[in-house]
Amino acid sequence: MRLVHYVNQFYAGLGGEDAAGLGPSVRDGAAGPGRLLQQLLGADHQIVATVVCGDDYAASDPAVSAELLGMARAAGAELLIAGPAFGSGRYGLVCARLVAAAQAAGLPAVASMHPDNPGIGEAGAAPVVAAGAVARQMRPTLERLAAAVAKLATGAPLTAEDGRVGATARIGRLVQDRAAKRAVELVLARLSGDRERTEVPIGGFDVVVPAAPVDKASAAAVALVTEGAVVPLGNPDRLESARATRWLRYPIEGVDSLASGTWESVAGGFATTHANADPNRLLPLDAARELEREGAIGHLHGEFFSTVGNGTTVATAKRFGVEWAAELRKAGVQAAILTAT
Amino acid sequence: MTALRRVVHEVGSVEFGPATGYHQHHLVVGRELLESLFADPALAAVRPRLASPGESVRIITPLDVVEPRSKGPGGGMFPGFLAPVNRKRGPDTHVLRGAAVLAAGYLPRNQEGLIDMSGPAAPLSPFSRTHNVVIEFDPAEGAPLLEVERAVRRGLLRLAVQLADAAVDSTPDAVEELAAPHRPGTPTGGLPRIGVITNLQTQGAFKDVFVYGASMAGSLATLFDPAEIEDGAVVAGQYGHPALRNPTYLHQNHPVIAELRARDGLDLHFAGVVLCPEPVEQGGKEHVSAHAAWLCQAAGFDAVIVTKEGAGNADNDLGMKVDALEAAGLTAVALYAEMSGPEGTGPPLVAGPRRGAVVSTGNYDQRLKLPAVAHALGGTRLRIIDAEATAAIEVPVAMILGGLSPLGAGRLTCRAEPPAVGLEGVA
Repeated sequence: MRLVHYVNQFYAGLGGEDAAGLGPSVRDGAAGPGRLLQQLLGADHQIVATVVCGDDYAASDPAVSAELLGMARAAGAELLIAGPAFGSGRYGLVCARLVAAAQAAGLPAVASMHPDNPGIGEAGAAPVVAAGAVARQMRPTLERLAAAVAKLATGAPLTAEDGRVGATARIGRLVQDRAAKRAVELVLARLSGDRERTEVPIGGFDVVVPAAPVDKASAAAVALVTEGAVVPLGNPDRLESARATRWLRYPIEGVDSLASGTWESVAGGFATTHANADPNRLLPLDAARELEREGAIGHLHGEFFSTVGNGTTVATAKRFGVEWAAELRKAGVQAAILTAT
Repeated sequence: MTALRRVVHEVGSVEFGPATGYHQHHLVVGRELLESLFADPALAAVRPRLASPGESVRIITPLDVVEPRSKGPGGGMFPGFLAPVNRKRGPDTHVLRGAAVLAAGYLPRNQEGLIDMSGPAAPLSPFSRTHNVVIEFDPAEGAPLLEVERAVRRGLLRLAVQLADAAVDSTPDAVEELAAPHRPGTPTGGLPRIGVITNLQTQGAFKDVFVYGASMAGSLATLFDPAEIEDGAVVAGQYGHPALRNPTYLHQNHPVIAELRARDGLDLHFAGVVLCPEPVEQGGKEHVSAHAAWLCQAAGFDAVIVTKEGAGNADNDLGMKVDALEAAGLTAVALYAEMSGPEGTGPPLVAGPRRGAVVSTGNYDQRLKLPAVAHALGGTRLRIIDAEATAAIEVPVAMILGGLSPLGAGRLTCRAEPPAVGLEGVA
C-alpha cells in the first residue's frame, strides 16, 4: 500500500522552534522517523512521500489540515500516517486534525501520540495509537504504529489491543437510584473497605510546568489574552457567554485603554457590572501601556485574544491554549498575560 | 436538635379560582390573594400561570422554586424572612407535596435555563414532576434589580405559606416522623456515624444563599439542625448554572438528608448536617475546608457526604473539603457533575479531590434534542441559544433546571461503557 507520512519541522530535520513557522512542503520517500517506520513495515507498504509543516504554522489555523491532506492525496496516499507526536501539543493537534480530515474524506489514517496529548480530542472518530510521552521512546512507539498501520491496511478497525487510545466516551444515562442514594451507598462501601470504588476517576489533573522566565522583559513582545469574554460592545461576533466553542481576536494597536461603553464582558459566570464599568480590570490594557511607555516591557502585541472560561470544557480550553501559543509564537511574542475570572 | 413531624397533603391538580383552597388533593389558587402577596414598589405587575406534569409547556428563565409549607396558625415558616429567628415553633410542618411555586423572568446573573413539563427533558428536572404555580413579573420602572429580586423572593415565600395554610385542617395523606440526628457519644451498635456537609454559594448579589435571611458569606462552617432546614431556614437567591442550582425546594427536601434518614438505624447513624459557605478567595477556601473537617471530627462523624452549588469555584471547594476530611481520617464522598464535552470524551472533572470518591450527577455538556412545545412561560425567547421559547431546540443538560442536581436529586450518571439502554432524548 502507498503510504504518506506527516511529520513536523523538527522530525524532518528542518530545525526546532526557530523553524516552527515554516509552511507545508512535501518530499519523496520516508524522512526522519519515517525511515525506521519503513524498516519496521517491511516491503508490503511503501512510504511514498513525507508531508512536512512547521508546528506554529500548522496548529494556528485549522484550515491548514485540508491543505496538508490535499498534498498527501496528490502524492498518491492510500493511507495516511501522522506522528508520532508524543506529548507535543501543537504537533499532536495537527496530527489529530489531519487524520480526522483524512478519515472524513474517506482516506484511511492513523495518528500516534501520548494519551495525554492536548490535541488528541481533535482526532474525533479517527484512530490514534499510543506513543510514549517523550521521543526517547521512539522505537517501541514506532513498532506499535507499524503494526497498527499493517492492520489498518487490511481494512480491519483498530482497537485497544492495537494500542488505540483517545478518551473513552463517558455516556450519560438515567439509572434507578438518585445520586443522593448512590452517595450513601458509596460511602458505606468505602467504610466497609472498598477504598477504590468511585463513579468518577479521582485525580489525574494536569500540572502545568511554567515556562522559563523571559530573558529580558524590557525587550520582550507581550500579549494580553483573557478568558473573561472581553468583546466590543454589542458582541458583534457572538462569543458565547458559557461553554465556549471558539475564541476571538481584536486589534488594540494604537488603543491606550479599553473604554467603558466601547468594550464589555459577556461572561455568564460572574456579575459583569464592575468589569463593564472599567473593562481594563479584566484585560489590563491601561496598565500594560504604562509598562510599555516606561520600558518595563518591549512592546505590547497588536491584538488580544478573548474567550469565555465559564463552563468551557478542559479539552476545549487545552486546544485554545495550544492554538494561542502557536499564534503568539508565530507573531514573535515572548510572553503573555492571561487574565481569568 | 429537634424532632419534626411532616404532615403531608398530596396535590394532584391545581387551578385558579376566586379563593385559595385545598380539597381532596385539588389545590385552588386565589388570584386576588396572590397579587396582594406580591404587592411591592419594585414590581409593576405579576402574572401567575400554571404548569402541570405532562403538559406541552416550557418554563424558561426559571428563578427560585419553593415547596408550599406551613406551620399552621402559629406561623414560623421561613425564619429570617417571614418569621422571627427563634426556635419556638410547633413540631408540625404541613407540606403540599406535588406542588411548587416558582418565579420566571429576567434578573442579572440568571443564566438562562428551562423546565419542560413533558418530553425527553422531563425526567431530568425535579420540577417537571410538580404542579407549578409560575410567577411572571414586570419590574417597576427604575426599580433597582436587587429590590425586584427581594420582592419576588418575598412574594414566593409568602405564596408558599399561604397555599399550604389552606391544607392545614385537611386529613393528611401521611405523617412522617423525622427524628433529630444522633448526638456524638450516642451508642451506635457498631454502625458508622455519617453526616453531610452542604456548601452554599456565597458570591454576592444574585449568587447568594440565605441562612435565616442572611448570606453565609464570611461565616465558618456550622452544625445545623435539619429540622430548621425543613422549615425553610435555607433559602436560595442564586441564579447561576441552571442545572447546578439548588433551589429552595431542594433544601426543603434535601435529598442526602432524606437518604441518610431512610437508613438511619439500619446500616448507619445519621450524625448531622454542616452548612458551609463557598468563599471566592483561595485562602478562604483553604481555611473553611480545614475548619469544616475539624468540625466534622469534633462532632464525631466517621464519614461525610459533601455537596456543592455551582461550578468552577464550587468544584474547588468541594475537592478541597474532601481532601481535608480524608486527611483528617474521615471517609468522604462528593457529588459532582462531569464536564467532559458533548461527546463525553474530555476530562470529566475540572477540579476535584485527590482522595475520596465521587458520585456523578451527569454530564453538563451532554446534548438533548427537545421537541417544540405548545406554550412557553417566563419569556418568549431563549437568548443564550437565540431561539423562540417554544421552538424545537438542542441544548446541553446544563440548561435544565436541577438537571445535574448537586444535592443528588437526579438519576443521571455517566459511565465509560456504552449504555445498555439508551437515555431517551439524550443524543
